[in-house]
Amino acid sequence: MDIKTDRFRETVRKELVNPETQKFLGFFPLVLSAMRSATLAGLPDSEAALASAAAIRAEAVERLPELLEEFERNATAAGARVVWARDSEEANRYICDLAREKKVACVTKGKSMVTEEMGLREELEKAGIEVWETDLGEFITQLLDLPPFHIIGPAINVPVETIRDIFHEKAGLEEPTNDPVQLGYAARKFLREKFYRAEMGVTGVNIAVASTGTVINVENEGNIRHCKSGPRIQVSVLSLEKVVPTMRDAFHMLRVLCMCATGQSLGTYASFDTGPRKAGELDGPEELHIVLLDNGRSAAYRNPKTRDALKCIRCAACLSVCPVYGKIGGYPYGWAYSGPMGQVVNPLLLGLDRTEDLYGACTLCQRCKAACPAGIDHPRMILYYRSRQAEGDSELKGKGAPWSGKALHRFYSAAVRNPALWKAMAKGLRWAANRYEKDGKISKAPGPAEGWFRSRDLPRFPDRTFHDRWKEIEKTLERGEKP
Amino acid sequence: MSADAREWILSRLRSAPGRGQGLPQRPPLPPLSAFGSERALLVDTFRQKLEGVKGEFHQVEDRRALCAKLEELFKANGVRRAVAAADSVLAPLDLARWAAGIGVELRTPADFTDPAAFKEALFREADAGLTGANFLMASTGTLVLAHDRGQARLISLAPILHIAVAPADRVVADYEPVVAALYESSGSIPSQTTFITGPSSTADIQATPFTGMHGPRRLVVIVAARL
Repeated sequence: MDIKTDRFRETVRKELVNPETQKFLGFFPLVLSAMRSATLAGLPDSEAALASAAAIRAEAVERLPELLEEFERNATAAGARVVWARDSEEANRYICDLAREKKVACVTKGKSMVTEEMGLREELEKAGIEVWETDLGEFITQLLDLPPFHIIGPAINVPVETIRDIFHEKAGLEEPTNDPVQLGYAARKFLREKFYRAEMGVTGVNIAVASTGTVINVENEGNIRHCKSGPRIQVSVLSLEKVVPTMRDAFHMLRVLCMCATGQSLGTYASFDTGPRKAGELDGPEELHIVLLDNGRSAAYRNPKTRDALKCIRCAACLSVCPVYGKIGGYPYGWAYSGPMGQVVNPLLLGLDRTEDLYGACTLCQRCKAACPAGIDHPRMILYYRSRQAEGDSELKGKGAPWSGKALHRFYSAAVRNPALWKAMAKGLRWAANRYEKDGKISKAPGPAEGWFRSRDLPRFPDRTFHDRWKEIEKTLERGEKP
Repeated sequence: MSADAREWILSRLRSAPGRGQGLPQRPPLPPLSAFGSERALLVDTFRQKLEGVKGEFHQVEDRRALCAKLEELFKANGVRRAVAAADSVLAPLDLARWAAGIGVELRTPADFTDPAAFKEALFREADAGLTGANFLMASTGTLVLAHDRGQARLISLAPILHIAVAPADRVVADYEPVVAALYESSGSIPSQTTFITGPSSTADIQATPFTGMHGPRRLVVIVAARL
């Protein structure tokens, strides 16, 4: 998919006045968040369950290279082919070559953020292969050429009329209808023929298990199961941080993932693949290819300050609680990952220079950190990105603040450490700001402060500072009088 | 390319600064469900959870009652042709002969040698798929199917109606015994295991929920006291 992280501001402006977006943001994140809390509350000890999940992720990240080797050994022993790819280009080339070599005409895809990140669908299409997104929401975004609005509901904000028209035009909808259920069944009918015909199914992986070589997918619709049942070739793209040590760890993470993502105790279908179909089986793939993707992850791993980003399990609990996502929705983040998850992950995979507005758009309120089952401290990481961007960083592609910005902060730093200078500045600023006062309020100021006042007012500053008044109070008290 | 890439990735991960200072202490996995192992309670919890995810639950005494219930379900859903798994629950029941007696064509994996014909039957012909279950997980209302030749994947996926049958002693509290039996015993690991919690569902259009998106619209689970 196209990377549009540099269009954050203009997209925000559009989305803030988009009634469809605002309608959904008014309840969708709140409902998801409430469902998550309710399901967690049903556990005998939800805090221990979440702490355990965070510990599993911490161990998985710490032991990552060893776990990947163990996973590879066991998956290979079960008959899967494990392929390593340094970046999207290598991964896409392997999958496109495989499709060509095996004379694949039609590919069905399950919803997966990692293949969005790679732009796999576009590459397969360029190779002349028919590709269908089969998750209902992804199918709609494919037909409309839209980025995902939310990781759980990629097209949840799209009005039925738009879906009706596009299904009528491109998905064989005969009787136009505004009933979401009938629209869903039209998509079922259309995609069922693709499942029947497809020679290759492509999915992501939610969790990989080192001790057994198993890859796990969880979903509600059954499209991923179809991708892994009918076609003769299965490609599972594994973002390399998703491996955990044991099957028990995997099951715990699976349940925590479902609870945090949608408030379900378990998604409708969780399917565990250990190798391709065995001799004599009537369905399932004859070949299972597991593509292990790095694409910037080993670089993030090599910096202890950014390594924690690899703990993320993509549950999207952070989206539902984020006050910024709650106003702007998923489009402004401009890539596969949105919300706090995107603010933490995108800068590492794309570079700090291309994602400045993403990590800039954070109030550091800490709600994402509190909701995260994987133990990620988003605000700390966001502050780290800001500092690397300001100071310049060749690894993370931080471009360094401009001369004027650096000078301003150096001056500020000196001023706050010098009481005399600070007091003089405070007095000077009050006088300057009060010149713009109107009816007791300051609503605008020229120069660099202009932006600050765009959505805020200040009351008029009193003529004397707190320090001045305090001195006076002390004197009054010394005289034995009441202030 | 892959061998080079493998070495490149692994060596970068292995030599990352700040690793190898010992693993963080792991707390033990906490219990996920808080109920005992009494059979009736497990079955009842399973029923509640299954119904909570729009599944349908029936309880029968024996094979005879099971057949009566199946006949009722076939009639109500207009089932004329169906495919039944040949798994450890259904294979011994020999339901095909019984079904022929009530005018329903019930085929099993043994009737197919060609995978293409099997796919055709499941996609285009079967009105229902019948399976057993390796386990029923009470805490989540989940059906566990370990796939093999007898338990082909499409039986529980492609037809619009999925009917699953299990004896009551296959209901377990949570996933521990399932993981132990399928992934930690000495036997070979199934090529695929599916955990089914309710009928296929979605809410991707305007957050309107409905069942039967790509898999079954209805999921019926029949628990039998003895078979």
